Amino acid sequence: MKNPSEITKEFVKNGLSEICPVIDTHTHFGPGQGIYFPKLTPEQMIDTMDRCGVKYIISAPHTALVDTERGNMVAAGLVTKYPKRFKAYWSVNPNYPDRIAKELEKFEDFSGFVGFKFLSDYHRIAITDQRYSPVLEYANKWKLPVLMHTWGNSGYDGPALVEQVAKKYPDVIILMGHSGYGQWDKAIQVARDYPNVYLELTAAYSVRGAVEAMVEGVGSEKITFGTDLPWFDPHYGIGCVIFARIAEDDRHNILHRNAERLFGS
Amino acid sequence: MEFFDCNASYGIYSVPPYKRADSVDVLIEEMEWCGIHRAMVRHAAMIDESPIVGNPLLLEQMKPYPNLEPSWGILPPQTKELGTVQELMSSMKENNVKALWAYPAKHRYLLNSTTFGELLEEMTYRNIPLFLERNESCGGNEWAVTADFVLKDFPKLTLIVVGHGSWGEDRFFRPLIERYEGFYIDTSRYELDGGIADFCKTYGPYRLLFGTNFPRTPMGGAMLTLMHADIKEDEKAAIAGGNLERILSEVKL
Repeated sequence: MKNPSEITKEFVKNGLSEICPVIDTHTHFGPGQGIYFPKLTPEQMIDTMDRCGVKYIISAPHTALVDTERGNMVAAGLVTKYPKRFKAYWSVNPNYPDRIAKELEKFEDFSGFVGFKFLSDYHRIAITDQRYSPVLEYANKWKLPVLMHTWGNSGYDGPALVEQVAKKYPDVIILMGHSGYGQWDKAIQVARDYPNVYLELTAAYSVRGAVEAMVEGVGSEKITFGTDLPWFDPHYGIGCVIFARIAEDDRHNILHRNAERLFGS
Repeated sequence: MEFFDCNASYGIYSVPPYKRADSVDVLIEEMEWCGIHRAMVRHAAMIDESPIVGNPLLLEQMKPYPNLEPSWGILPPQTKELGTVQELMSSMKENNVKALWAYPAKHRYLLNSTTFGELLEEMTYRNIPLFLERNESCGGNEWAVTADFVLKDFPKLTLIVVGHGSWGEDRFFRPLIERYEGFYIDTSRYELDGGIADFCKTYGPYRLLFGTNFPRTPMGGAMLTLMHADIKEDEKAAIAGGNLERILSEVKL
């Protein structure tokens, strides 16, 4: 192996790194549509975290992406039981706008939630739609993060729409989940031009050259690591990052430093 | 652990990957960067032009690299573009080519016994593996339907489907693994958390082949996932390269 990175050597040897912990900013939990998960329980997920050197993860349970009332309580249970290993996003389903005001009140009652999660491509409502406004206004007021599923050229959450939201709500910390997958140049431009926009790497890391292009175009200070766990083995995403042609500092920024700054260590 | 990649290509594609690998040197450089020892290679010209072009081009360009194994594309024997089945077999023997790829959607044919009966019989007899990319449909059918059709007619054929969807396809491929002893998948996009260990617990390690999907996918992800999968070292070694080594060693050219 010609890759000289000490971080890479450590991961290759041990499966984890003492010098470079990992924080996963994009995960889920529980059974989901369309996939078999061998490791479903919180304890199994913690086993995965331990094997990969992941300090903590931030989750939006699959249930919460459909039935927010039930699912956000699943998340509350997780962060209560394992506060050092799980943080959570409060999921929003704009197809049920009547629930949103009530849920925003509940959001304040629970600790362990760090921000909100939008899944607009699946909910088929654009992130610019007014049904998201109460949440975005709330997040803007309190300077909270929103993890948005974003996909290239999507009419629901493509990078161009993220740009509109970022401009309108400059204090919302927007994590572009999947980094606007496929529309890389536009996603990079948005993250570069708006201080409140970050690229999040879930699935995007599996496109050869994408990590290098993001680091070059935006700087590694604007990129966070994520895996969709329990979908993807963290080793897969970590492997893509540590073998990318980037500097050691970039690996630190992506794998943990940026998340520590945004969500705590 | 020695890695032997079953799923690597290079060359000029009509729609290139995000980071191009126009020449074989780029592949070699990436293998050395990651620590991958060997690779079975196919040429982009075989996929996006024709096997008539890509098969010989591959042989010519990979000559300086003894750690690369060649693989060729097929076309329906009826049009004799690659000669008769026996002529193709002779050519494979002459050039030590031990694996073939089917691209039914790209090259517009049906991968079935009507079209390929004679070739698939010969491949079964000679233990020559047939590779199929997950994204290649056949007559409107997805890969799992195609694989099922082919293996129903040729249950002893070695059929390897590569690059299966990263969003989880165990529900598609596990029934094929259980029914057909010659069915394999590669690990290039088997990203499922705990997937390799769970698979091995049920089926053992002998039906998985290490692959990278280079140049579209970075090599490091599939590598690190296998290196630290929750399975025994000898199981890792089998998946990393032993299984492909065995499959190729059983080929009778």
